Amino acid sequence: MLKDDIQKALAPLNLEQVAAGDYAKTGCHLEVTAAPERMPEVAQTMLSLGCFLESLTCLHYPEHFTLVYHFANYQELCRTAVHVKVPLDQEASTISHIYPGANWYEREAYDLFGLRFAGHPDLRRILLPFDADFHPLLKKFEASSGDA
Amino acid sequence: MLERGLEEKRYVLNLGPQHPSTHGVLRVELELEGEFITKADPDIGYGHRGHEHMAENRTYQQYLPNMGRVDYLHALAYNQGYCMAVEKLIGLEVPERGEFIRVITAELNRIASHLLWVGAYLMDLGAFTPFLYCFDDRENILDLLDYLTGSRLTYCFYRFGGVPVDIDDDFTEGCRKFIKRLRSRWADYDNLVTKNVIFINRTRDVGVITKEQCLKYGLTGPMVRGSGIPYDIRKSEPYSVYPRFDFEIPLGERGDVMDRYLVRLREMEQSLRIIEQALDQIPGGPIMAEKVPKRIKPANGEVYAAVETARGEFGCFIVSNGDLKPYRIKLRVPSFGNLSILPEIAVDTLVADLVAILGSIDVVVPEIDR
Repeated sequence: MLKDDIQKALAPLNLEQVAAGDYAKTGCHLEVTAAPERMPEVAQTMLSLGCFLESLTCLHYPEHFTLVYHFANYQELCRTAVHVKVPLDQEASTISHIYPGANWYEREAYDLFGLRFAGHPDLRRILLPFDADFHPLLKKFEASSGDA
Repeated sequence: MLERGLEEKRYVLNLGPQHPSTHGVLRVELELEGEFITKADPDIGYGHRGHEHMAENRTYQQYLPNMGRVDYLHALAYNQGYCMAVEKLIGLEVPERGEFIRVITAELNRIASHLLWVGAYLMDLGAFTPFLYCFDDRENILDLLDYLTGSRLTYCFYRFGGVPVDIDDDFTEGCRKFIKRLRSRWADYDNLVTKNVIFINRTRDVGVITKEQCLKYGLTGPMVRGSGIPYDIRKSEPYSVYPRFDFEIPLGERGDVMDRYLVRLREMEQSLRIIEQALDQIPGGPIMAEKVPKRIKPANGEVYAAVETARGEFGCFIVSNGDLKPYRIKLRVPSFGNLSILPEIAVDTLVADLVAILGSIDVVVPEIDR
């Protein structure tokens, strides 16, 4: 079972949480919580188990950002959700050197939330114009306010 | 190498944003050496409408029409993905007949999307006639879906808990006629295109994607199946009533442009098989769940639901904080991941081949830009 393999492989990393998820309710088989600086190790482990990065997104809360990584597998049904809390004034760690596909997802998170990824080779805006001066998915953002 | 003592210079060429082969407003900045590409940098976002931001400002029902406008070519799959996510979130069961109607219409829509792709793609490669054949066939599907849903392109047909309109004998009859008609056309397509030597030379061993690249870039849909990985959400993570039908996942061997073309062509036949079986097996009964709440107010929580669209995996990730509006909706769209591999596979190819490669990714730009 891939699920057990992932749990076993992630155990030595001593992450905050590695637990079985409720697939019927959330669509994820495994729920993982990690600190931002541990993310490259987690990604490396997932890659060695043959999982691909399905999606990467950011959530804006009043005190912190939460990055949510979804990993899935081509051969076996097992979706892993990794939650990473990043304080508002800090940077996350890039995994684009491990998963080149993460490059664009990280650019998107930077573009829409203003969250920076340390070590990213090319952290430019991706969806918005390069000269935009706002990050539209921040909760305080209103489309009709100010110059935006 | 340039002759006549000319200085070797970096030559930058803009492909797009208005180029027939980009299928929408997509710009690719190319660096060339002669006619070979040394660097390709896609510039996306021209069609960014902020669908994810809109989600945070409207109720769950109000967001439904947006789902027909993300990927307008396979809109019903997006309807389905979003409805599935919300149904999971509030614990709503769809009656069997409702699920069957969803499958029939979504598969019809998939064929329409593939037909449009085949026609438009071959036009990219310089063949105009197949385009007319494809649009002729596709028109039949649009008529059928128009009859049922009331719209031809940007469908907003599924509801939380089922579908609003039942299918009738006319629709069933029309579907069967269409299946027969499209099957009689495969020979024409093969003779016109698949065995055409110009087409073969343009597509064989061009834009090869390895299995390892698929994994690292998180590709989905015909892109991975062309490379020989049997990953189709309808089989790998069965949803709706797909497990009841007998169908295959067409696979490629070499992972080149030709394989991706063949995968899509064969997928249409598999979709026909699914529709045929669904029409035979469709049970009676209600099409909507009995108690659908008027005010949708899910508890705190997250949910991820995935469906297979014509281009790959569409994942709908909803975060609820117990409000009437979602806290955040992330739309994981297939073309975004699929296009991100372009800078890697475009290097060292000819500009003319880039058109073939870009077309084979089957991008729908508004879907990438959201």
